[in-house]
Amino acid sequence: MATCGQGGRTSRRIGGIVLRAIVTLLMVAILNFILFRVIPGDPAGLLLDGSRSAVTSEQIEAQRERWGLDRPLIPDQVLDYLSATAKGDLGYSFKFRGQRVSDLLLDRLPATIALVGVAQIIAISAGVMLGIYAGWRRGGAVDTIATGGSLALYATPSFWLGMVLVVVFSTKLGWLPGYGAYSPGADTGSLAWLADYLRHLVLPASTVALGIMGQYVLVARAAMSDVVAEDYMVTARAKGLTSGQMLLRHAFRNAMLPVVTLVTLNLGYVVAGAITVETVFAWPGIGSLTVGALNARDYPVLQGVFLLLGTSIVFANLIADLAYGLLDPRVTQ
Amino acid sequence: MTEVVAGPRRHVRLRATKEFFSRLFERVGAWVGVAALAFFLILAAIPGPIVGPLETAATASGDFLTPPDSQHILGTDEVGRDVLNVVVHGARISLTIALIATVISLIVGTTVGITSGYYGGRVDVWLMRLTDFFFIVPSFVLALVIAPVFVEVIGRGREVLGFRTSLFVIVVVIGLTSWAFVARLIRSQTLSLRERPFVDRARVAGSSDLSIMIRHVLPNLVPQIAANGALVVAGAIYTETALSFIGLGDPVQPSWGTLLSLAQQAGAASAGAWWYLGAPGACVLTVSLAFVLLGNALDDTFNPRRRAIP
Amino acid sequence: MSEVFRSASGQLLAVDGLSVDYGLKGISSRALHEVSFDLQAGEAVALVGESGSGKTTTAMAIAGLLSTDARVTSGEVRYRGARLQIDDDAAMRPHRWTETAVVFQGAMNALNPVQRIAKQIAEPCMLNGMPREAAMTRAKELLELVGIPPDRGTAYPHQLSGGMRQRVMIAMALACRPSIIIGDEPTTALDVINQAQILKLLVELRSKFNLALLLITHDLSVVAETCDRVMIMYAGRIVEDGTVAEIFAAPKHPYTRLLIESIPNPAKRQRVLRPIPGDPPSLITRPPGCPFHTRCPSSMSICATQAPALESTGQRRVACHLHSSQMKSDGVLVHA
Repeated sequence: MATCGQGGRTSRRIGGIVLRAIVTLLMVAILNFILFRVIPGDPAGLLLDGSRSAVTSEQIEAQRERWGLDRPLIPDQVLDYLSATAKGDLGYSFKFRGQRVSDLLLDRLPATIALVGVAQIIAISAGVMLGIYAGWRRGGAVDTIATGGSLALYATPSFWLGMVLVVVFSTKLGWLPGYGAYSPGADTGSLAWLADYLRHLVLPASTVALGIMGQYVLVARAAMSDVVAEDYMVTARAKGLTSGQMLLRHAFRNAMLPVVTLVTLNLGYVVAGAITVETVFAWPGIGSLTVGALNARDYPVLQGVFLLLGTSIVFANLIADLAYGLLDPRVTQ
Repeated sequence: MTEVVAGPRRHVRLRATKEFFSRLFERVGAWVGVAALAFFLILAAIPGPIVGPLETAATASGDFLTPPDSQHILGTDEVGRDVLNVVVHGARISLTIALIATVISLIVGTTVGITSGYYGGRVDVWLMRLTDFFFIVPSFVLALVIAPVFVEVIGRGREVLGFRTSLFVIVVVIGLTSWAFVARLIRSQTLSLRERPFVDRARVAGSSDLSIMIRHVLPNLVPQIAANGALVVAGAIYTETALSFIGLGDPVQPSWGTLLSLAQQAGAASAGAWWYLGAPGACVLTVSLAFVLLGNALDDTFNPRRRAIP
Repeated sequence: MSEVFRSASGQLLAVDGLSVDYGLKGISSRALHEVSFDLQAGEAVALVGESGSGKTTTAMAIAGLLSTDARVTSGEVRYRGARLQIDDDAAMRPHRWTETAVVFQGAMNALNPVQRIAKQIAEPCMLNGMPREAAMTRAKELLELVGIPPDRGTAYPHQLSGGMRQRVMIAMALACRPSIIIGDEPTTALDVINQAQILKLLVELRSKFNLALLLITHDLSVVAETCDRVMIMYAGRIVEDGTVAEIFAAPKHPYTRLLIESIPNPAKRQRVLRPIPGDPPSLITRPPGCPFHTRCPSSMSICATQAPALESTGQRRVACHLHSSQMKSDGVLVHA
């Protein structure tokens, strides 16, 4: 019927989503800027290298000029900061002297991506399947156990779960390594090295996965039990579909709508959980970089981490909003 | 006139409250939640009579990292302190932080939500933009960068309102970063309340916006605030534990998260000292589970429908 | 009019003494009480009653779609002379849609929101072994048949108006060439114009394909131009059964009379709608005796103690002490 104007509606919707993402991203950057200026002491001193006593006033003066600190805060300094940030210039670390924050982040990023990626895959495949099944057979034995377990996992701090897993599987049973990402002396890039890396990944990835799985099970289950009560499921039954056909052809896609949103929106919480888990396992990713920076008051690195996390969360949201449109025709057409 | 009305109305309200509690306690979750909370609140209220004053490295009597025995039911830590002693004292710190942070969060969230929903228009758009930001960026991530800056601003080692700096900062920062979910909920409720006749009547009678919001809208939001308050506490405990674990806590006033952080630094996991890391962790798990169960039971009682978390 | 269809050889469906209970939290409640009727090929019958009267349970039982908490406690349903295992999901599956199809109410929720309508129409054909291409072609034919341009088959349900969605539901019901179509309040969610159009479409298709139509409704006004016969249900029982002409001209049961009087009639310039006083009894607390006696304007002392039997005079059936043979012979008519 209203075929015309649909294209316009879709592009308006996408425009709105992108605009919201940009606004949020700006908020992340501006908060970062404000925090940096609030710290007592001269930002120029901080910018130098963190050894706050051993700088001469000439050096500070040079820094002030280089960063334009003698110019007004708004708009000059804000704009300078934003343009530097946009170019990927995040300043220099206090702790690792002379190292660029962006280099530090890039250096640590792969380990975190591996950890979070593997954990997400485990959590999605196991959690969503379990939740879908529990919701489909609501009130059954699987449902009762899955719901109770998920609630407990949901309330458990994931890093503590990691500590427990270390005690059981590493210290007591000695099955898996509970510290670091590599055994010393391995040949980087060889097959044995990869196997060793994966062995080290098992416990931290399982920990992160278990930490988020509870929520996935609960949401998938709730979505499924809503779908089961829908009229179109009665239609499907009346049409003569078997229970399995009803599940696969009609229930699954409808139940996936809230799950997809959760999984993408949840990225921020997954990464936040990974920060603490990395600390437990001394996993060489963004998380342990963050904790190190925290203890050394390495503010540029902290800011860099915040910017990185904020940006990835905003992007995950963007993807969630766009993906929802693809899955649910009611949104786009 | 008010007195004439107040009598029967109070009676009705009392009966409604009674009925509410009887329906609430039909749920197993409510019983479990309340029982667990009562237990921990007693620990938090009177740790002294139960386990004596908080032990320090100087007053510690036990050996280092001994497993549980008759003298130390939960074993000892790496400086010989009794784990039971520090965990019971930790209950006080953890629960105080979580509860105060929740109060802050509820106040901010309710204020933003009511204002946004009541005024609508541009106020609503901008407040919701702000809420979106706090909604998608986890409290923990925000606190991670904000807390150390605040500590730096206030100065370490001082005491603010009886808290040492880092704890005070954690309370405030958790409270100021975890309100978005409350604000969204309150806003949507306010939107529907705004259309109710009693709000119109109050407006016609000449009440100011502020008085309508406080006297007519807010009382109707109490169920939502209560049910979600319990969930906010669970979130606050989680955030506090995580922040303390990564080193933002204060070893002088150790919360459960700080104890876990100390256990981690002492290598308790690789030493197999399960009692040391097990006790505070189990406490966190129990308390946050209790709040989640209680929150869900409250929510179910207020509006019986299906929700994401059963 | 219905006499034409009512030959023994034309009997398609027979419901015989069917009782159904629902078990809710251990308390079981009776939804249907010894319901009996039959349906001839090509006949259109309306099942009229308030919500909770058991009309939908009757329809779902015939289609083999009773929910898992429902229990058939007595009686049976026969289709073309063979007993249907209506409480066996797997056994009913081949019967569904190929023999009995349902047009559900409120087609928005009855259609899958994330599937294109042509695919939903073609689905039952493919289930019964039709190749995909052929099934899609059939879906297009069916859309045309119900007055929707076939190229709208790529639309999603939310892109169609309420009337169009109800047409899609009808097209879907015709997909496997069933003998019986159950219309479960098919026009309830629609405005008056759409309502009339959908009813007209159902009447046309019924005569075109010689379909038996069982129309479930709470609204007697949609029955007159659509059906041959009307059955009135109250509290899980059939209380009156007769041709449309008989029922409208001379209702026997007080409940039927009140229902007819409550239809707004512009010709009579009747300003005030007369709702039936009182509420229908709940499933759990059924009054003893005749279930309607608490609301009945002609209630007698016997009505409170003894439930009237459904007695037939020729094709006409009624369950009311006012018309029972026993009462007439005794001549006791005491108004309460």
